[in-house]
Amino acid sequence: MSYTTFNQNSFDTLKQPMFFGETVNVARYDIQKHKIFENLIEKQLSFFWRPEEVDLANDRKDFNDLLDHEKHIFLSNLKYQTLLDSVQGRSPNVAFLPIVSLPELETWIETWSFSETIHSRSYTHIMRNVVPNPAEVFDDITRNDFITRRAVSVTKYYDELIEKCSFYTQLGEGTHTINGKIVDINLYDLKRTLYLTMVSVNVLEAIRFYVSFACSFAFAERAKMEGNAKIIKLIARDEALHLTGTQHILQIMAAGKDDPVMGEIAASCKEEVREIFLEAANQEKEWAGYLFKDGSMLGLNQTILAQYVEYITDQRIVALGLPPIFETKNNPLPWINSWLNSDNVQVAPQEAEISSYLVGALDSAVDTNDFGDFDL
Amino acid sequence: MTAHKQTNLKPRMNDQQEEFFLDGHNPAGTHEPLDFALETQFAEQDHGEAPVQENLLFDREYSENPSNSPQIDLDGMSKPIHQVTVKQYETTQNLAFQHANNLLESLEAQDVAVQYQCREGYCGSCRVQLLEGEVHYIDEPMAWVNSDEVLPCCCIPKTAIRIKLP
Ligand code: FES
Ligand SMILES: [Fe+2]
Ligand SMILES: [Fe+2]
Repeated sequence: MSYTTFNQNSFDTLKQPMFFGETVNVARYDIQKHKIFENLIEKQLSFFWRPEEVDLANDRKDFNDLLDHEKHIFLSNLKYQTLLDSVQGRSPNVAFLPIVSLPELETWIETWSFSETIHSRSYTHIMRNVVPNPAEVFDDITRNDFITRRAVSVTKYYDELIEKCSFYTQLGEGTHTINGKIVDINLYDLKRTLYLTMVSVNVLEAIRFYVSFACSFAFAERAKMEGNAKIIKLIARDEALHLTGTQHILQIMAAGKDDPVMGEIAASCKEEVREIFLEAANQEKEWAGYLFKDGSMLGLNQTILAQYVEYITDQRIVALGLPPIFETKNNPLPWINSWLNSDNVQVAPQEAEISSYLVGALDSAVDTNDFGDFDL
Repeated sequence: MTAHKQTNLKPRMNDQQEEFFLDGHNPAGTHEPLDFALETQFAEQDHGEAPVQENLLFDREYSENPSNSPQIDLDGMSKPIHQVTVKQYETTQNLAFQHANNLLESLEAQDVAVQYQCREGYCGSCRVQLLEGEVHYIDEPMAWVNSDEVLPCCCIPKTAIRIKLP
């Protein structure tokens, strides 16, 4: 198989598996094998939002008033979120598009990944409004050991799949010597790598992100950094859809009707899937240790966050039809539900307009209502 | 937003079928509808034996135009109420569905804490196990649902149901 941007073969789309069938040609949606992806696309488009619509005028003052260890928690959490969305803004495209075989799934992947770029842009919007020098914070993401360690674990499956697929598209199946290294490329192994990559993406969006949401909302629970929380609510709404996307992909694979080999792989990978979930949970707990190293905050500490990690890990693995790992019972952060729900996010366009004039210029303590009568 | 209390799941009464609670604690005996728009209009329709998952959409006409409801003629009669038995851990509660827009709202109104995020069927957070009975989806759910599960945020009971909370 080699990649072509417009496959000249004519074939029955409905007979193609989601991945590793014919490469796509006509971007048509009149016949669809899996209608769910069309639904996801529609929903994602209806969610469209712009970070600038959210007013962060009061967050700078809130941030300045935080204690040092709270600033550490806030910024580290934001750095982690920035890292995760940097990965998600490109990796689904780079990893999955060369091997996708259904137009509706191809478009879902693009739509999904595009929404991640909105998330990335929103972190810059937050930083600009909250800290005097955003560059310092962003630069630290590649310099700080604790963060870079997180990067390795969230990208290793993606990178493995991308590498193997590039060999496969150039050289095909077989044993190849590449730069003096012997590499065995076979489709079964590639599909296995794809399945595990999809699991790791589900873990990234459905567990890792939710742990970071808990931290963002813990500030807002105390009426601090509420503009930030509004943005995170919008991000959480998107992520809820993304995790539904990967759950569907994984369940379609496991059912084996789309591609019988995938069904076999899913059945034989259960132990590895459990390992991926468990490893991620342990990493998130370790991360909680780093976040709270200099002290906790009201309502959230290392122990409670670790309990939430276990709780959310169980929720997500059970959704894939596997047994829970930790046997947790209650959500240790019952207040998180109403924060995760986005119904009550309101963005006032004229306020947002004003806030962009305010960036770095005015004391953020100024009540934006005072500008109500101004026509800018 | 509604406040959501952690629930004390002690059974509130013995298993007498006639005495279950109404959504939102309507005083016993007040079976009369307080607000017609809040009623479920589908309580007694027969939707056949289709499996829960394959019977996703129903005619929205009814829910939007209460006057189209066949129940408008049932003047003076009490609305059909479906019993909702909720199992969680070792406890069982007998509740009822009548007034709420969906099963999730009904459970919340009766102090059962169900997890949620989107409240419109695309995140899967509210998944519960359906042990017995049938539900009807008001909107087509987008979240992945296993064959024995339902999403309370976008369904209403079609019969008496037994559900198990995670
Ligand atoms: S709360 Fe999201 S599916 Fe029910
Ligand atoms: Fe994202
Ligand atoms: Fe995402």
